[in-house]
Amino acid sequence: MTTLRDDTVATPAKVGNEPVITLRGVEKYFPVREGVFQQVVGHVRAVDNVSFEIPRGQTVGLVGESGCGKTTLGRCIAGLTDATGGGIYFRLSVADRQFLDQVDAIPQEQRTQEQRDRVERLERAHRIDRLKGDAWRTYRRNCQFVFQDAFSSLNPRQLVKDIVGRPLKVYKEASGPGLTERVVGLLESVGLGRQHLYRYPHEFSGGQRQRISIARALALDPEFIVLDEPTSALDVSVQSQILNLLHELQQERGLTYLFITHDLGVVRLMSDDIVVMYLGEVMEHATSEELFASPRHPYTDALLAANPDLLSDGDEDTEMRGLEGTLPDPARPPRGCRFHTRCPVATPRCGWEVDDAVAWLLDNATVLDGLSGVERATDFDSVLRFGDEAAAGEAASLLESSDVPASMRTAMVELGTDGAQLRIRFEEVDAVRLEDVGGGHTTSCILHTSQSAGS
Amino acid sequence: MTAAAPATAGEKTAALVASVEDLRVHFELKAGVLHAVDGVSFDIADGETLGLVGETGCGKSVTARSFLRLIPTPPGRYAGGRIRFWPKEARQSGGEPVDLLQVPTSDMLDIRGNRIAMIFQDPGKALNPALPIREQVAEVFYQHRTEDLLEAWNGRAPRPIRRAASQRAGKLERLAFKFPPLRSQSKRLKRRVDELVGDALAETQIHNPRKIMASYPHELSGGMKQRVMIAQALACNPDLLIADEPTTALDVTIQARILELIRELQHAHQTSVLYISHDLSLVRRICDRIAVMYAGRIAEIGTTQQVFHDPRHPYTQGLLAAVPSFAHRRGELAAIEGTVPELIDPDPSCRFHTRCAFATDICGRVDPVLDGRVAGRPVACHGYASPEELGVAAAELPHLDRSPA
Amino acid sequence: MVDTAAPREPLTRTESGPLAVRLRRAGELTREVLRNPTTLMGLIVIVTLISLAFLAPLLTEPNRPDAYQMPRDWGATNAPPGTPGHLLGTTSTGGDVLYGVLWGARTSLRMSLIVVGVTMTVGTIMGSIAGFIGGKVDEFIMRIVDVLLAIPELIFALAIAAVLGPSFANIIFALSVVFWVKYARIIRGQIIHVKHNEYVDSARVIGDSKLNIYRKDVLPNSVTPVVVQATLDMGNIVLVGATLSFIGLAEAGLAEWGVLVSEGQAGISSGRWWASTFPGAMVFLWALAFNLLGDGLRDVLDPRTGGR
Repeated sequence: MTTLRDDTVATPAKVGNEPVITLRGVEKYFPVREGVFQQVVGHVRAVDNVSFEIPRGQTVGLVGESGCGKTTLGRCIAGLTDATGGGIYFRLSVADRQFLDQVDAIPQEQRTQEQRDRVERLERAHRIDRLKGDAWRTYRRNCQFVFQDAFSSLNPRQLVKDIVGRPLKVYKEASGPGLTERVVGLLESVGLGRQHLYRYPHEFSGGQRQRISIARALALDPEFIVLDEPTSALDVSVQSQILNLLHELQQERGLTYLFITHDLGVVRLMSDDIVVMYLGEVMEHATSEELFASPRHPYTDALLAANPDLLSDGDEDTEMRGLEGTLPDPARPPRGCRFHTRCPVATPRCGWEVDDAVAWLLDNATVLDGLSGVERATDFDSVLRFGDEAAAGEAASLLESSDVPASMRTAMVELGTDGAQLRIRFEEVDAVRLEDVGGGHTTSCILHTSQSAGS
Repeated sequence: MTAAAPATAGEKTAALVASVEDLRVHFELKAGVLHAVDGVSFDIADGETLGLVGETGCGKSVTARSFLRLIPTPPGRYAGGRIRFWPKEARQSGGEPVDLLQVPTSDMLDIRGNRIAMIFQDPGKALNPALPIREQVAEVFYQHRTEDLLEAWNGRAPRPIRRAASQRAGKLERLAFKFPPLRSQSKRLKRRVDELVGDALAETQIHNPRKIMASYPHELSGGMKQRVMIAQALACNPDLLIADEPTTALDVTIQARILELIRELQHAHQTSVLYISHDLSLVRRICDRIAVMYAGRIAEIGTTQQVFHDPRHPYTQGLLAAVPSFAHRRGELAAIEGTVPELIDPDPSCRFHTRCAFATDICGRVDPVLDGRVAGRPVACHGYASPEELGVAAAELPHLDRSPA
Repeated sequence: MVDTAAPREPLTRTESGPLAVRLRRAGELTREVLRNPTTLMGLIVIVTLISLAFLAPLLTEPNRPDAYQMPRDWGATNAPPGTPGHLLGTTSTGGDVLYGVLWGARTSLRMSLIVVGVTMTVGTIMGSIAGFIGGKVDEFIMRIVDVLLAIPELIFALAIAAVLGPSFANIIFALSVVFWVKYARIIRGQIIHVKHNEYVDSARVIGDSKLNIYRKDVLPNSVTPVVVQATLDMGNIVLVGATLSFIGLAEAGLAEWGVLVSEGQAGISSGRWWASTFPGAMVFLWALAFNLLGDGLRDVLDPRTGGR
């Protein structure tokens, strides 16, 4: 079967590999509450419009730094928390996914009854938050999770036998001596043994505890496992043991992994495909070799520059570079490309807005102490009111100075004072989209795609 | 003071900032005595950055904290050895070093934060959540740099101001600062503190120190907090900066920035740095020399180049091979099998022998010495020992592949 | 400080069954508790007092028809301790102090067991519902708890017992109404903390039922502070109960320490100290011993050590 692609869903070509998990525009918003009555004043967009597929038998790596939403996404996929938008599908064929995408493009009222019925059928059969009864149980058994902290993910009051044997009991697969034998088999498959059956988790080292977690995840012989930073808490020498074990198990059992990590070295080693996330959105998606050989997003570049050993075997002393600035507020993500506020190669068309100018003033001057009000027409066009004319003038001259990043200065199409008021208007741009740049490699950076953000 | 000083002869002391000799730190636990640090020796030369690398529980943090005697006793106990430290004056005039494990507590208080500063892994925990940043950085000046604060008075500051500059002003005096004639002088002092704190923060590339000074720790990001910690640590121009996993809690892109910053400041101030980390690829970017620790002991010491390109100890070799890197293929990561041994009442042996592929009988019976004679630099492995001294046949020693790729 | 907190390679141990492991762990905990001398002392006192309560019918002839009523020896009122037949003396109404002390121990044991049993159960159920279900249910239950906690427990119990009329059963009822709220609050706090642990999520990923998750993961990891509180309450309840009966909220003539102290108090000024002192000392010992044990348990079962 050939894989057709369109612009909205990223699907690296994997001929013959039907996906186990399909994400279509997944969103997870957490309400922000304030005040005595706990009104919802906004939403933290932990995961925003994420689409990709996890093909059977493969490992998809999900990389990003803290706060990028990778763990939240993993929890959504494992059914630990419900997505607030979009859909996560289990065993949805590529053809069906394409059908859903096609129907999505048709306005609601123009859809035929036949189309609606088929959508409904597909959603009921595949969308995990709509699965019921046996379908839910099938998904539940086949999608397991390994947590980062193997200490807090093992009940301290249960013996290893009860922990590893519990899934078998829940699904009434085994009991009595049969259960014990199954557990011993599982323990042996992760390098532990019969002598560990009747011990408590605290009697084990970190690496061994992670092995117990893996044994539990394997108990029901699942198809798919979400690995949430499974080795981040471990020492290097133990990490390599666990990584080898995971690879071995995948080979033996044909497992599919979603490997969540912040460690690029680990993700490259373990993954076929890599999805790079930043502030809740996918920045880039490519095969592992492709991503490391020719990254097409400045954020991926930045991650690689922070760990230059990954690009060479370390003989020459490549310089290590980091990123300026801090992660923006996920409740009010930047317009345009979310990375533009910290991007070293940002252009005037990357989404500069009034908030960026205000943030720059806050970080570099004290003139905003005299700010008395803001009239926001749009995110790109606002009037700042100051206490006096001098302050407004000073703010204007500061924003015109060469200290301001050139791309931001260029993007400012209007900057004028009117008494104590300062009007700032930026060129308006659209949100960026993931676009294919060849061979299933998708990126959202406008420098690498045909999209020219702007109206 | 009679502790043996293997591999750290007294002659080279002229250029040293600190010298650890046979340090032993033990913890009395219910199950027995935990030998957390068990005979560790290394030197830190003036102006160099020494990396102390090892995995969880190898004793690197305990070693670092011993410099400032920060180990709670009990259950901890400094069971032996010494840490000699040469403050700037001693180095310049060839004076006597102090033994950090022996100096009186009052002297130690003057050394802490002033001559030896420390930054910790979790800046969130090291900063007081109830105080604005200004107060926390100013603390260092009040404690150790009173003269700098009083510079403008040319040594003729009135007593209350002098007391205020070391934060010893009483209630009455503080009341008096609200009225002339002390009012203007007290304001001057406050301005001076602001100036110094601002300068210290600006040095760590904080763009708007005024804003940061007024902030509370919870308002700052992890990277910013670590910058504040560094500003605080370097405010007194210490002779030695101990950095205990300063970037472990940070994201990689921020980590790279902080690392650059530490390196720049280290060059600018000519401060010696003891950099503790579990991350080999990090220490490699910042350190001149590296000491690898395993299970309470030093496995080997060498220049960064030596350790990375010619690791001598089997543990170092294994550790380097275990880091996922460019050359690795999936499932073929070199793993060091087994786990770190219990350090409770250990028998004499190479601590690594249970996991070592080269181990022979002797490794399980005799403590290896950190010896540089065969290997050319200090390596604690019987594979580099002389059979005569151990009284065994050469064949009984582990046969290492001594020509690493 | 010591970063080798986790044991490395567990000691090689021959295979043993789950029962043996659990027993050994219980044994370890017991040894741990008994290592502390004050806890051990508390435990010894408790065992002695409870033995006295059990042995009361053997040590003294039970009064008929109601053994919990003090027998009256009108021929020997105000007898001092050491009087033959009245080893600890008698009260002004001829009540045998020894009888009162021994059967009082029985009364106290009965009272504290009933009250602790009832309040712990009710409190755990209410707290579990509030903590595990959360939301509106939680709000509702916890507001009731807040209101009840705002009233001093002694005064509240006093009010209930006074309204219901003087009887020992009413004291037990009043105490039960007052004491459950603490358990509800403790268990709720624990559950809210425990249910965010990843082992709860792991159980959800397996697909286990909510009830099973509560039973296997949440409750066992939440109960330790309840056990400590119950131990402390075993002492406190006797103290409060004795206070209530001292001010006359129990039936007159009940073999109960508070009643006995109040019977003897008139004699203190005229040198007849024994009728009040012996039962008073018993109340003191009882409360002290359970507090010592409770504190010892708290140190060992501290949830921060993961119940190791």
